[in-house]
Amino acid sequence: MHINRELKRLRWFLIAPALILFTCFTALPGVRALIYSFQKWDGFTEPEWVGLQNFQALLADDLFILALKNNVILMVAGGAITLCLALLFASTIHRGMRGAGVFRVAFFFPNILAAVAIAILWQQMYSTTDFGIINAIWMQIQQALPSVFLKKGEIPSPFPFTDSSHLIWSIVPMLIWTATGFYMVLFLAAMQSIPEEYYEAATIDGASPRQQFWHITFPLIREVFIVGIVFFIISSAKFFDAVWVMEAELPNKNSHVMTTVLYQKVFHEYNVGYAAAIAVVLFVLVFIATLITLNFSRKDTLEY
Amino acid sequence: MKYLTYILLSIWLLAVTIPLAWVGVNSLRSSKEIVENPFGVPWLVQGSPYQEEAGHPTPQESAQSNFQNAWVESNFSQYFLNSFIVTSISLIMILLFGAMAAYALSKIPSLGNKLIYLYFISGMMIPAQLTLVPLFFQYSYLSETLSAWTAPLGIEIQLHNSHTGLILIYIAFSLPFTILILTGFFKSLPNALRESAIIDGASEFTVFWRIMLPLARPGIISAAIFNFLGLWNEYLFALIFVNTPEKKTLPLGLSNVSIQAQYNTDFGLLFAGLVIVIVPTLITYLVLQRQLTKGITAGALKG
Amino acid sequence: MSRAISHCILPTYVQSVYNTIMFRYVFSIFLSFSIILVLAFYSDAIHRINDTAQEIKVVEVAIFKGAFGIEWHQQMAEQFNRENKHRNIKIELWGDPKLANILKPRLLRGNPPDLILDERLPLWLLIAADKLLPLNAPLAEPALGFEQQKWADRYSPGMLNMFKSNGNVYAVPAAFGAWTCWYNASLYKAKGWEIPKTWDEYIDLCEKIKQSGMVPIALQGKNSYFYAWSTYITLVQRIGGVEAINRINALEPNSFSHPDALKAAQVFQNLVANYYQPGALAMTHTEAQLQFIQGNTAMIFCGVWLENEMRETIPADFELRSFDIPGSPEWKGNDKMVHGQGMEFLFVPKAAKHPGIAFEFARYLVSPQHAPGMSRSIGAISPLREVNSPENFSPAIASVVDIVNDSSGAFNVRPYMLFPAWKSQVMDAAIQDLCRGTLTPEEFARTLDDGIAHEVATAERAIPDAVLLNPSDYGELHAH
Repeated sequence: MHINRELKRLRWFLIAPALILFTCFTALPGVRALIYSFQKWDGFTEPEWVGLQNFQALLADDLFILALKNNVILMVAGGAITLCLALLFASTIHRGMRGAGVFRVAFFFPNILAAVAIAILWQQMYSTTDFGIINAIWMQIQQALPSVFLKKGEIPSPFPFTDSSHLIWSIVPMLIWTATGFYMVLFLAAMQSIPEEYYEAATIDGASPRQQFWHITFPLIREVFIVGIVFFIISSAKFFDAVWVMEAELPNKNSHVMTTVLYQKVFHEYNVGYAAAIAVVLFVLVFIATLITLNFSRKDTLEY
Repeated sequence: MKYLTYILLSIWLLAVTIPLAWVGVNSLRSSKEIVENPFGVPWLVQGSPYQEEAGHPTPQESAQSNFQNAWVESNFSQYFLNSFIVTSISLIMILLFGAMAAYALSKIPSLGNKLIYLYFISGMMIPAQLTLVPLFFQYSYLSETLSAWTAPLGIEIQLHNSHTGLILIYIAFSLPFTILILTGFFKSLPNALRESAIIDGASEFTVFWRIMLPLARPGIISAAIFNFLGLWNEYLFALIFVNTPEKKTLPLGLSNVSIQAQYNTDFGLLFAGLVIVIVPTLITYLVLQRQLTKGITAGALKG
Repeated sequence: MSRAISHCILPTYVQSVYNTIMFRYVFSIFLSFSIILVLAFYSDAIHRINDTAQEIKVVEVAIFKGAFGIEWHQQMAEQFNRENKHRNIKIELWGDPKLANILKPRLLRGNPPDLILDERLPLWLLIAADKLLPLNAPLAEPALGFEQQKWADRYSPGMLNMFKSNGNVYAVPAAFGAWTCWYNASLYKAKGWEIPKTWDEYIDLCEKIKQSGMVPIALQGKNSYFYAWSTYITLVQRIGGVEAINRINALEPNSFSHPDALKAAQVFQNLVANYYQPGALAMTHTEAQLQFIQGNTAMIFCGVWLENEMRETIPADFELRSFDIPGSPEWKGNDKMVHGQGMEFLFVPKAAKHPGIAFEFARYLVSPQHAPGMSRSIGAISPLREVNSPENFSPAIASVVDIVNDSSGAFNVRPYMLFPAWKSQVMDAAIQDLCRGTLTPEEFARTLDDGIAHEVATAERAIPDAVLLNPSDYGELHAH
């Protein structure tokens, strides 16, 4: 179609608001953050330029490495179990069963709750005092099977799930609980685009359901699976709310994740440059992960 | 084999529903009961010892006091209203500006389109934490300069601790994803529609506003649901940019109340607060869940 | 439709203008601009500058809303306003449990309140960045209710040392917090347990409690950097005397690895391993305190705010009392010294609009005249001399007042206030690991020492001199 002046003007009119808002409040701050990361600033006094010093300090800092390690634990442990469970559930529902709709609706629900609400819920369930149901169940198990769980003369005692030293490991089940539904729906949709004939042909050839899964289903949704992996990596890099709430806003070196370190550096220690450096590192990680996913997903995202 | 999968799925179903049921049940009990017995159910237990104890509140009373505590005294009504204001205004703006930009980028061919599109999409990769600190100082700077300009009018502008400031951030942050979804939808609409409309004498704007936009309604609804959920539950930006209690949104209010409730060991309040936060999302979800799942699949499969 | 309307309403020549594309676009831009203006007008980012503020000086006071609440402070503000109506000044007092979060942006932006009560802000950082006004002026004024002496002199000895730098006092406490061991007197009477006077008796008591099937001590594990730490520091003083405390405050190398401090770590670790509640490290402070109140544990170390915090849940037959943490004749430290410090610190930012009135109100709040009222309303022990008589307090806090009045002085250590990074990155995890048993006392001390050495070496601003206590002033009870 031909472009006339009317169309040109309309185009600018249509794009302008989004462009202006986005540039002012997302793009420019992003660039600003990059600048901060090369400076040393406490927010009160004048900033000074220190080049790569913040990044060097970052890589040498135990706190950050520990926080990074915690993020990796979330990604790997959480991711592996979530994605496998999601795949498992999706494939079982995909084979067709009664109540599939109910399962889909129910499983997806935790994903849309506020992260804060989920964190508070799980914090209460993990409570070591009398009313945390997880510990209550654990105590019942201990009492029921003393020979297995209790050493001689020991009384059943609650397990400190929210202890800072292994808080991250306690968060992993919470993460799995929340995220599995989402990935299940994702994989299910992908599976539903696989033509039925493949399965019919395979059944005629005598393949078992397990073989069908590994040789038909999985290869055909491989791309979506990889999109899922990368999605998970990106969202666990940004993980903040749960740790913050469960640690009552004061994580210590064992329970930090990168984003909480960032917050602490700015608002507790007034070290803005360092925090910006963390943010830049986060961005680079997310960027790389997104590039990988763009590589693997459908090509027509970028094409016109 | 089939039974095994049923069992597995049922276990997971229980794992999902039991915590939520527990929250619901606990919100109906008084703190004393909760602390003494984690598993009890208020009135279903025949001859529960708590009912006979003198001075012990009945289930109705404790439920009422918990929710009253949460809604009135702990200001959940205020937080709800704030969340509603911020989310709805942001949503309207996001959908409007997003649809406008998406239409222009997909239907009005121009050399710069690809670049601008990439520009927006790369914005999706920017984590909130990256823009957090600069925005904080940027708002201070903006407030100062704008106030200096408007001072002669007797007006001062303060973007910190205001819903306006939060809304601006929310809009800017949600635009990339919305534009991504909507561009896909607009592209799938045939160009012939536009041409025939122009022949009939419509202006370009009319084509956009009256023809293309209504046709992209599924996409807009999907984008609306996604953004709504993201904004309603958003915590980090709200934490930094809203400080005083009367402006807090629901997630902030909830985390505040949870700390407060622990101080006063009022767990009934805590669970009632959780219920107030969870129920609207639950209702929205049950009503719109089909759209939601369709939206995810479309968005993900289209890339 | 707009075409239809324009056809009907507007005269023909106007129609022709309206129908041009140029007009349409100009009109739509104008329309969007006006919509934006209207939206902005109703936005909550826009405030009218209050002109009447010129006539009445409004002084903003922000109070941390914690265990002591803000009702008493509000009463004081109203009273002050009434007494000073003729001067056209008005105190506006507000509070919030998350005060630090609310004020941090305002401090960074440069428009803080006039007077702040909150020590959760990084005061040393603010002092070093020159953001606070020294309070020497009001401290030199006569004390309200005891005009013969200056306000500074009515403070108990040592109370003003916490935030003293270069001879300037930047923050003054409004209350005094003493660290003691709390117990249920009626339970102890019933079980025949006696209050220990020495550390060996204390251990015996713990044993007896354990034998009777109760857990001896509760721990507020999630906040170990404060609760476990305070008990450990008390032990450091009991074992190593005031010298050990001075060593830590002077930031001497290996102050924590000194044999006395090391022994304190060992004693503390043994105490935790044998007599603390299992799983306590995951408990928030209210959870742990609840365990104590409910009778699951027999003792808890806590500050003077325990009663206020747990007010709603203390049963009627629970006699909350506290006893002083005992020392030992074999140890160097004077066990009549109480581990405590000023709390509820008041300070005035440099950017305050009405600092003079802020100073006045601070002097008003913490004065011999109003101290008894404060004690009666909120049970806070005043940091001033000779104003704390037990009858102004509840029986629980009266037991602490007895300890304080009976003590020969107070002590505290400053590294965690001075180095917030050390506190959150090194000390918090270290004390938790010590409690958990994953660090030996030697490793624990080494970790702390290395952290302090690192902070001292990389400090960008001058570290204020320590205020050291003179042992002879506090009478060493035990010859060594």
